[in-house]
Amino acid sequence: MVPRAGGCYPSPRMFKRILIANRGEVALRIARTARALGIQTVGVCSSAERGASWLRHFDEHVCLGGPAPRESYLRPDAIVQAALQTGASAIHPGWGFLAENPRFAALCAQHGITFVGPSAALMTKMGLKSPAKAAMKAAGLPVIPGSDGLLESAEEAQKLADAIGYPVIVKADAGGGGRGMRLVREASALREAYASASAEAAAAFGNGALYLEKYLSGGRHIEVQILADRYGRALHLFERECSIQRNHQKLIEESPSPALSPKEREELGAMSARAAAAIGYTNAGTIEYLKSAEGPLYFMEMNTRLQVEHPVTEMLTGLDIVKLQLEIAANEPLRIAQGDVKSSGHAIECRINAEDPSNEFRPAPGVLKSFAIPFDRGPGNVRVETYLEAGDEIPPYYDSLIAKVIAHGNTREEAIATMLRTLGESKVEGVPTTIPLHLAVLASAEFRDGKYDTRTIPGWKSAARA
Amino acid sequence: MISPAALELVLAEEGGRQRLYSPALGLLTLARAQGEVLVEGEECGVLLVLGRALALRVPAGALGRIDNAPPERLRAPIGFGELVYELGALGAGLARAGAAPELAQTASGLVLRSPQTGRFYHRSSPKDPPFAKAGDLLREGTPVGLIEVMKTFTHVTHRAAGGLPPSARFLRYLVADGADVKNGQPLLELERA
Repeated sequence: MVPRAGGCYPSPRMFKRILIANRGEVALRIARTARALGIQTVGVCSSAERGASWLRHFDEHVCLGGPAPRESYLRPDAIVQAALQTGASAIHPGWGFLAENPRFAALCAQHGITFVGPSAALMTKMGLKSPAKAAMKAAGLPVIPGSDGLLESAEEAQKLADAIGYPVIVKADAGGGGRGMRLVREASALREAYASASAEAAAAFGNGALYLEKYLSGGRHIEVQILADRYGRALHLFERECSIQRNHQKLIEESPSPALSPKEREELGAMSARAAAAIGYTNAGTIEYLKSAEGPLYFMEMNTRLQVEHPVTEMLTGLDIVKLQLEIAANEPLRIAQGDVKSSGHAIECRINAEDPSNEFRPAPGVLKSFAIPFDRGPGNVRVETYLEAGDEIPPYYDSLIAKVIAHGNTREEAIATMLRTLGESKVEGVPTTIPLHLAVLASAEFRDGKYDTRTIPGWKSAARA
Repeated sequence: MISPAALELVLAEEGGRQRLYSPALGLLTLARAQGEVLVEGEECGVLLVLGRALALRVPAGALGRIDNAPPERLRAPIGFGELVYELGALGAGLARAGAAPELAQTASGLVLRSPQTGRFYHRSSPKDPPFAKAGDLLREGTPVGLIEVMKTFTHVTHRAAGGLPPSARFLRYLVADGADVKNGQPLLELERA
């Protein structure tokens, strides 16, 4: 057999043509690996992005609909039809949009198209909070103390809260975006909170079911990358720490986590891989944990898709997660064993958003006058993921992420130094970006010491005053 | 949610031409052929989306002869916002296609037809303005052009005959200034005043 581009020997089972049901940076990231595997790519766009420079990275592309996501990127029927009429046999959903929509995965299956991800049934289970928590508890993961499944009544909530101790939080099973959620600091407030959260959830999601758990403030967000094939083998690719956040939006991710000892890392990874195998997971996924200030780790949720910060893991392990996703979707067994997965050095990712840090992080779409991020400043290696070039317009309809910069060094200090040089010498003009925030955080003593949690952005407030 | 079984094409007037764009992504089937006349409200193809057939309709305000080559094959893949039909003015298409003038009767608008075979002029001399411009009110006997037949020039006037009302509003010429026209060929498009 003749090797194709990228020197890979294509498997006879591998797809010949896939559709990438996403836009921008993630669509390009997936197309790059597909091309290296000799797979043809079909891109999609909305009418607002017709003629955009990034569309030339696909073998062909089709326009799905109008500019608003619900008219284009969020339309399962249009996307599946696009795959059918372009002859694509698989759809990679990327992240966001329909990536965690089980109905979309089911629609793909119904039309004979492979969805690159887990089954629709598994996505349904992991998409609802209490079934996900129950499944992971059964699979051996520590969960935040609270109700086993849904609450029957306010009386049950009261009894449970008294047992586990206050503060507690009641949450909507179908929740999201902070709706249908109430923090309860004392027993007397519980009944009221239960009623109002349930009513709010019923109005917002059509489902008033609630569950209750102990409220943990702060803590650290640590997640484990999982890969599982269709033959029951599950691996972990170590963890990523994503505690530097603003309004629950991750800004900086790194690995290894400064909060874990080498022994804790190994244990957390092994436990996560076991849980993934136990629930019958397939493809790439991420198990998110909260490491409480008191020490113990608790399962939070599972993301059944590729993550934005996956390059951090790729820099550490040398593995291409998108390649492995496509191979698993094409019914290939994983050809690596857990012992082959080595984490070497330290990697940090900074998300560059078109937002104005001096003005409450107001999103700032516009035209990029210049856009140059160096990747040769050393001492470590740099990877830049973006879909934009100078002169491009950032459309106002989608999220504000314009680039991700990932720096890898032999040590954490080297990775930080590389990132500081890279961002410090970047030239992005035309729109404000979050680069000043990243520079302030990376230079702060707290970040260098690895002492931070999800509530604080070290270095940022003092820099704003200066 | 039940989707409507019919979709309207999207009309855009660009450079004096009407273009009809696909309102959705799918497989276009039974497209109309080049040279056929499209009139608002009629069906002009079927779009298959995930096996469901949606009738495509000509939107309000669209009228003209198909001037491009729409896909002839069944189930031609088409994206959202892709051009389906480009419409030429009715008369111009007629002359080029050499089709019978009766075809223009499928148009819902009013047309004033040529009384003779000859050469039709919009103005009395090249320096003069056209006899009529858009929005002009035409009454019985109002001149709208000149027709040259065997070196003799005769005024073409509006007349309440052949289904035209006594007064009407001029919309546009359907043939070019100085074009050769046949007896009965539509010269102007009118609307009821």
